[in-house]
Amino acid sequence: MRYVKWTFWTLLALIIFAFLHYSLPQHDIVRITDTYEKRVDPGENSWFWAAPDSGNDPTVTNRDVFFIQTIRPNGKPMVYRNEDTGWGWPPYFKFDTANLQTEAADLISTKDDPQWVMITHYGWRNEFFSIYPNAISVKPVEGPDVRIIPWVNIVILTVLVIILLMIRRMWLQFRERAIDPVLSDIDEAGDAARDRAKGLWARLRAWISTWRSKPRG
Amino acid sequence: MIFGLLRLAVVGFVLMTIVYIALSIYSRSVYREELEKEWLEKGGEGDRDAFVEAGMRDYETSLRRKLIWLVYIIPTALVLVMLYVINFM
Repeated sequence: MRYVKWTFWTLLALIIFAFLHYSLPQHDIVRITDTYEKRVDPGENSWFWAAPDSGNDPTVTNRDVFFIQTIRPNGKPMVYRNEDTGWGWPPYFKFDTANLQTEAADLISTKDDPQWVMITHYGWRNEFFSIYPNAISVKPVEGPDVRIIPWVNIVILTVLVIILLMIRRMWLQFRERAIDPVLSDIDEAGDAARDRAKGLWARLRAWISTWRSKPRG
Repeated sequence: MIFGLLRLAVVGFVLMTIVYIALSIYSRSVYREELEKEWLEKGGEGDRDAFVEAGMRDYETSLRRKLIWLVYIIPTALVLVMLYVINFM
């Protein structure tokens, strides 16, 4: 039973962590090498693709998606998709996909003369599922070592903790004021009956214990 | 675009209404409890129920009750600010 409980809580914690890790904005410092667009037919991985451009037909099964190709400071590649999130989840309200693609194309640089940029994105890159993080914004920065403080995440996580504590307090208040009084009424009515039962139970136990053999010395 | 916006508006409105109702109940409950404690501290003289009910009538017109409307205002304002920051800044 203890293992079931621990498994449950660990799984729940993992799911919440994964959900937040996927949805919250993250910042990468990269160098843009090129941009392209490719037709995608979301299938098994359709969870990890956002909506067609806002205003377009949402029922078609395939569409062209913008991509931004980049190289990280450690020399490894990272490819971002660039899609509208529209009014849907996650709530970035991003509609300026084509503008972002233009900005990204404007910041293309070579290895010899790198222009480092900060890409704000959410999502994961996974080669097995062919999924890509969705770029939200792009901003030129001084170099690959700039320090970024994730203010948005700090604020969001703080607010989430406050909301959880608030829910707990509201529940406790509700229990104290609405449930406990009712329970104590039931209790008082039940007390008499319980006393009688307890008397019976105690007598029964005393009787059973007389059966047990006394330890031999 | 219109469908997405409508869906967001409907789901958002339902969620905010749930939060609004829950917060209203909570705030009333806390206020009532404070009134009961105040009555005890004042020596517990007079009719307790009358004292509490008079206090609750003040609550109905209090700023504290009106502040719960922020439940609707803050998320809506956030969406508007985010629309501007993400797309036009």
